[in-house]
Amino acid sequence: MGKKKAKGETPSTQASRVFTATDRRTFEQLESLADDVIHATQARRDPYLDIPSRTLSNVRYCPKRRIIEMGRSKNRRHLFNLHQAKTFMQTLLVAKGAAELIHAGKTLSIRGLYYRLKHRIKGTTENTFEDQAECDPIIEDLEVLLDSLREQLHLYADKRGDMVGNIVLIDSGDEIDCSRMGSGGYAIPSIVEPEVIQFKKCTAKFVLHVEKGTVWTRFNEDKFWRKHNCILTHGAGQPPRGVRRLLYRLHHELGLPIYCLLDNDPWGYYIYSVIKQGSINLAFESRRMAVPEAKFLGLRSCDFERCELSDSVKIELNQIDRRRAAQIAKYPWFANKKAWQREIQQLLDNGFKLEVEALISKDISYVTEVYTPQRIAERDWLD
Amino acid sequence: MARRLTESKGVNTADGHPVKDSSSVSTVSSQRPRKSSSGNGQLSQAAAKTPASPRQRATAHSMAAAQRDISISEFFAKNRHLLGFDNPRKALLTTVKEAVDNALDACEEAGILPEIWVRIECMGENRFKVAVQDNGPGILRKQIPLIFGKLLYGSKFHRLRMSRGQQGIGISAAGMYGLLTTGKPVRIVSKTGRQHPAHYYEIQIDTKRNLPEILNGRGEGVDIPPGEAGQRWMEKYGIEWIDVDHGTRVTIELEGRFHRGRGSVEEYLEQTAIANPHVTIHYRDPEGQERTFLRAADQLPPEPREIKPHPYGVELGTLVGMLKQSTHGSLRQFLTHSFSRVSPAIARRICEAAQLSPRSSPKRIGRQEADALYQAIQQSRIPAPSVDCVVPIGEELILKGLRQVVQAEFYAAATRPPAVYRGNPFVIEVGLAYGGGPSIHRVSRETLAEMLAESDARTLRQFLITQFDGLGPAGADRIIQHAHLRRRMSPAKLSASEFERLHHALSTVNLQEGQTMSILRYANRVPLLFQAGACVITQTIAQMNWRAYGLSQPRGSLPQGPVTVMVHMASVWVPFTSESKEAIAAYPEIQRELRLALQAVGRKLKMYLLRRQRVHHEGQRRSIFLRYLGEVADAVASIRPISREELYEKLVEIAKKKTVEADMRLDEHGRPVSFDGDEFGGSVLVVESNEDRPAEVVD
Repeated sequence: MGKKKAKGETPSTQASRVFTATDRRTFEQLESLADDVIHATQARRDPYLDIPSRTLSNVRYCPKRRIIEMGRSKNRRHLFNLHQAKTFMQTLLVAKGAAELIHAGKTLSIRGLYYRLKHRIKGTTENTFEDQAECDPIIEDLEVLLDSLREQLHLYADKRGDMVGNIVLIDSGDEIDCSRMGSGGYAIPSIVEPEVIQFKKCTAKFVLHVEKGTVWTRFNEDKFWRKHNCILTHGAGQPPRGVRRLLYRLHHELGLPIYCLLDNDPWGYYIYSVIKQGSINLAFESRRMAVPEAKFLGLRSCDFERCELSDSVKIELNQIDRRRAAQIAKYPWFANKKAWQREIQQLLDNGFKLEVEALISKDISYVTEVYTPQRIAERDWLD
Repeated sequence: MARRLTESKGVNTADGHPVKDSSSVSTVSSQRPRKSSSGNGQLSQAAAKTPASPRQRATAHSMAAAQRDISISEFFAKNRHLLGFDNPRKALLTTVKEAVDNALDACEEAGILPEIWVRIECMGENRFKVAVQDNGPGILRKQIPLIFGKLLYGSKFHRLRMSRGQQGIGISAAGMYGLLTTGKPVRIVSKTGRQHPAHYYEIQIDTKRNLPEILNGRGEGVDIPPGEAGQRWMEKYGIEWIDVDHGTRVTIELEGRFHRGRGSVEEYLEQTAIANPHVTIHYRDPEGQERTFLRAADQLPPEPREIKPHPYGVELGTLVGMLKQSTHGSLRQFLTHSFSRVSPAIARRICEAAQLSPRSSPKRIGRQEADALYQAIQQSRIPAPSVDCVVPIGEELILKGLRQVVQAEFYAAATRPPAVYRGNPFVIEVGLAYGGGPSIHRVSRETLAEMLAESDARTLRQFLITQFDGLGPAGADRIIQHAHLRRRMSPAKLSASEFERLHHALSTVNLQEGQTMSILRYANRVPLLFQAGACVITQTIAQMNWRAYGLSQPRGSLPQGPVTVMVHMASVWVPFTSESKEAIAAYPEIQRELRLALQAVGRKLKMYLLRRQRVHHEGQRRSIFLRYLGEVADAVASIRPISREELYEKLVEIAKKKTVEADMRLDEHGRPVSFDGDEFGGSVLVVESNEDRPAEVVD
């Protein structure tokens, strides 16, 4: 173990870097985590970690703030439990990785951290992590455990999602004019905190968030944002934290309303729900990410008839879709909204779902020239 | 011829009852042919009415001429398979067996720790000289010819007492077989004390009369003086004698075939040693190889007591007979004196139940009343026969004996309390050994070469199946396949490289699966080597559901796995299916006891298997914990400046505390080990193998 230990210790002995206040706080959190293990061991007790649980049962919808908040229930993770031993070890391993990053003053992608921590466990044929999917949830565990965000642990995710529109911002000192981004757009970074990104100038009147890149490209090519003076974003499906945080800042700092154009299926509904009141998995982040005023423009279950679409665009609902739809209908933040209950009921009655691309079957630019402007003009949306 | 007839008639008359009947029949029938011969014409008329009867082949007279007494010796000379002399291989074994059994019985009865010398010499092709000597009390001069030269002569038939021999057939039959096949007489040397002369006899049996014929010393035998003189004399005449103060040596020459492996003399002696830990046996085979089985216990088993029959086992007919012959004045006296375990109180209760007066004379009890008495006996509560008439080997000695011969991880034994079948008390004992490699793994090159050379099996496959216990056809096939040999090869014609491959396969092939349980059967400490299928022991084992005890078992056959079961039936009278004493008859009472005893060891086996599984599981648990502790210690030490080693040690300590069960193997005696026998209710022996130790992560 000597070699590894030396590696781990070098930064701490150098301690050349001056910690920022955030780093100092995060590092103290990490130290207290290590102390818990040390104390338990010295008392010959089974060390454990109390990790706030990230499940539906431990989230609470706050009607006043209209966001999802994390409850108090915690899952105890023991070292000496057959089913938890490995995850316990992994949690401490991630803590070790974070401590190392803070010392070095560097950041790593979560994939990078996975590679940094993955190794063969001595005397076995087992790896500390088999794949990244094992590592990612552990990072989230550590975030809730330490009450520190990913960026505070010096970690970031792969960036996903793009933005164009009438806004000028400064990213790590570089000025970026989002109205001059060509066909590719500005890639929204994983960390969009004010330290990294500042808004310089914004003339846009609203933000249109679409589900995925293909639809976003359609809007960008038709220069929808120029015509309607707005900002156009997408999150490649379920929007990553960077995109959500940016939407939050655009809404709260610049006062821009957020409109969402998503598929007419349970997954579309849930993307909207995540943007609006936060996700169940990352409920602790809702405070700084959820935009309760976000509106759902479409697609609606009634659009098949309203837009006179052809039968060929229907995609039949499968068993999983139906179950998911019923689940969503029961979420407390949808349960009391009649319009939403009608919407979901109609989806189930229709027996098919629609993607935004369905509108393209009518006309290439139908969605940008007719559908979206009409909805906004008529203020025809679901809230 | 006529003289002979009258002679045989005379014998009949002397005998008593059958005479009247047979003579009257002969007189009646003798008149009949006379009638028919006189009225020949009438008969043909009668034949026209009734269907023609076939021509009479023999008359009652001519038939009577051929009807005569059959000597028991003649009977057995013709039916030698009944006594275990069906083939030359078995004959050799049976001869040794009978001689050894007699020797052991004699020593034990006299209270001498038995020491036995068995010597087999090759006298030519298929001819062997078997000599068995003991250090027993010796035999009186006048008894020697009768014991060795007359069938059905012995001390053991008429008493109810546990002993190896029963009928008094065995050794004389062996001598008779020798005489029939080689023409050589049985030679006996017997000495009763240091100062006494040794008697030397050469005896052959007169099969016609079932009487001994002494050949030496003009029909009187020879006395060899004690001391130096006697020794010189013996040397002069080539008589072999190992110098002991007292003892008997029997030498029989016979036609036989020597072989090794299953059903061999060596196997028999080995198994005898298991069940008789107080015996020392010196064995020299025809090739001059010596093997000694030393005694493991220095104490003789307690002497079995002779008992009276137990009332439960008496049949109505026997009861009537006993009543008739009784000399007792009253029924109560009769009951208390003729039977074991009948106290005056019980006798009174029986009489009450039968509505008979305890004072009535037994001679006057009629058929009806005898029946009532019989029913009353069956219905009253009478204690089981006393234990001391049967001497079990005992759980402890069974474990010892089994361990000596069978390599295993787990041994269990159970001795049942005595029970009764047909009034004969008996005890069933079972020993079980589980795990370890089969005997096949221990075969040395030399032994294998010998076995191959001696085998009369035609194919290699047959050779493997017949020579190795517990190796079924499936196992044999696997070995042959592994050695890249052909099944139908002749075992005698293997090339050097083929031999090497076979030997390698024998010692390496995993036979755990497909291995069937091997069964060692004993009756009164005598191993039973043949007719396993006909024996109640094998049948009962196959009928039981062993799956309940953690073994796999194909429907209706013996269970599979590395298991050896030893079953011993000790009884004052073991009900063999034939005179060769190879299989025990299936009495329901015996089957019941067998089942109970087998279940007892089965339960212990199951506990062991479960336990093993649990320990294995705990071991796995521990290894899982241990493998992550290093990482945890590293991580903590990288965040906090503490000693990584110290933290690790402490974590390991907690891990061990958390998985105490696995510890039982790691800590005690500093090596992986032993369970507490008490946990299994005693009578259990666990020997550890390293095989399934929990994998330890070494840092």
